[in-house]
Amino acid sequence: MVAMVDKNKTSGFASKLLGWRMWVQTAFLLVWLDPAGLRLHTMCSPVFHCYACPLATFACPIGVIAQFGALHVFPFIAIGLLIAVGALFGTLICGWACPFGFLQDLAAKVPTPKFDLPKVTGYLRYVVLIGTVLAVPYFFGEEHPLFVCRICPAGALEAAVPTMAGQAIAGEVIIWPSVLKLTILVLFLIAIFFIRRPWCRLLCPLGAIFSMFNRVSAFFLRFNADKCTHCDRCHKLCEYGIEPEKTPNDLNCIRCLECTQCSPDALNLGSIFERSEGKNDIQEHR
Amino acid sequence: MINKNTKILIFGLLVLFGAALLAYGAFFHSTNVSAQQNGQPVLFAKSESALIKDASVSGVKRDETGKIKQTYEIGENAPKACST
Repeated sequence: MVAMVDKNKTSGFASKLLGWRMWVQTAFLLVWLDPAGLRLHTMCSPVFHCYACPLATFACPIGVIAQFGALHVFPFIAIGLLIAVGALFGTLICGWACPFGFLQDLAAKVPTPKFDLPKVTGYLRYVVLIGTVLAVPYFFGEEHPLFVCRICPAGALEAAVPTMAGQAIAGEVIIWPSVLKLTILVLFLIAIFFIRRPWCRLLCPLGAIFSMFNRVSAFFLRFNADKCTHCDRCHKLCEYGIEPEKTPNDLNCIRCLECTQCSPDALNLGSIFERSEGKNDIQEHR
Repeated sequence: MINKNTKILIFGLLVLFGAALLAYGAFFHSTNVSAQQNGQPVLFAKSESALIKDASVSGVKRDETGKIKQTYEIGENAPKACST
């Protein structure tokens, strides 16, 4: 029975897929970048991708929540989607499907010195979520300079920059975004070369939402204490400063699953759909 | 520590709740929006899906009285770009 639990289908599939993570992210990119020109902006995607981008298939759920907050209308579609997807995958979406996370992963491949962030900075994401996505839009409307879309680097990079370029090429008057938005974009573009996934770890409100599902999502990171040799290899494998054996479903984890490469196989991807019994059944659900 | 059965229960409830919200928003929820048609104010119900599309380009705004107004006339095209 233990063997069945340890060598389950989910973790086997995940370990095979791990080497292909970048290709999985690329494949998802083709879904979000609207190669077929569908422009399905009446529906949200579960990822952070600005729908003002000329290449956006779906609407950004954070943009929709903020815009609807400014209108004082409850965003049933966006909230429903995030709850359903969060319950299924948690932050697996961040690590494997989000185009903005993928961009930061690509930038992190540039061999520059990388700086780590104190773990406490992860809570800033909840401040951004409550402040700029919920409170500011509801109480001050979309004109407020701290309205999330007015400071979002994804919006600046994916929408404002291409729009300004298009205006320049067409010889039209260039409409510049706010100085604050441009400053945040410049800081972001510098930070991605020196900090791994700075947006995701510091400020992403969507990551903050998905992280709240990490402990109860259908797919989760399982730790088997019996197999752990306390070699701390998982600490070295984790690029985000998490100690996976202590908190396998940490709020700051993006579920890149790199830690599952630990040689004693003490960490792996599990799911609630597997049949498992006994001791391991309890250990895995921390 | 959460045991597996509790986790399955929480997961099931969350997915059902999320799917119910999603279905309600996609198929039943609408909001009253006022717009101009030939210079005359018209009040009509706009589905949440249509509202998502309009909100993305600042096609709808909430005025001081709390009413949601469409920023372009009925029959005209929505603004091309997001105001932010």
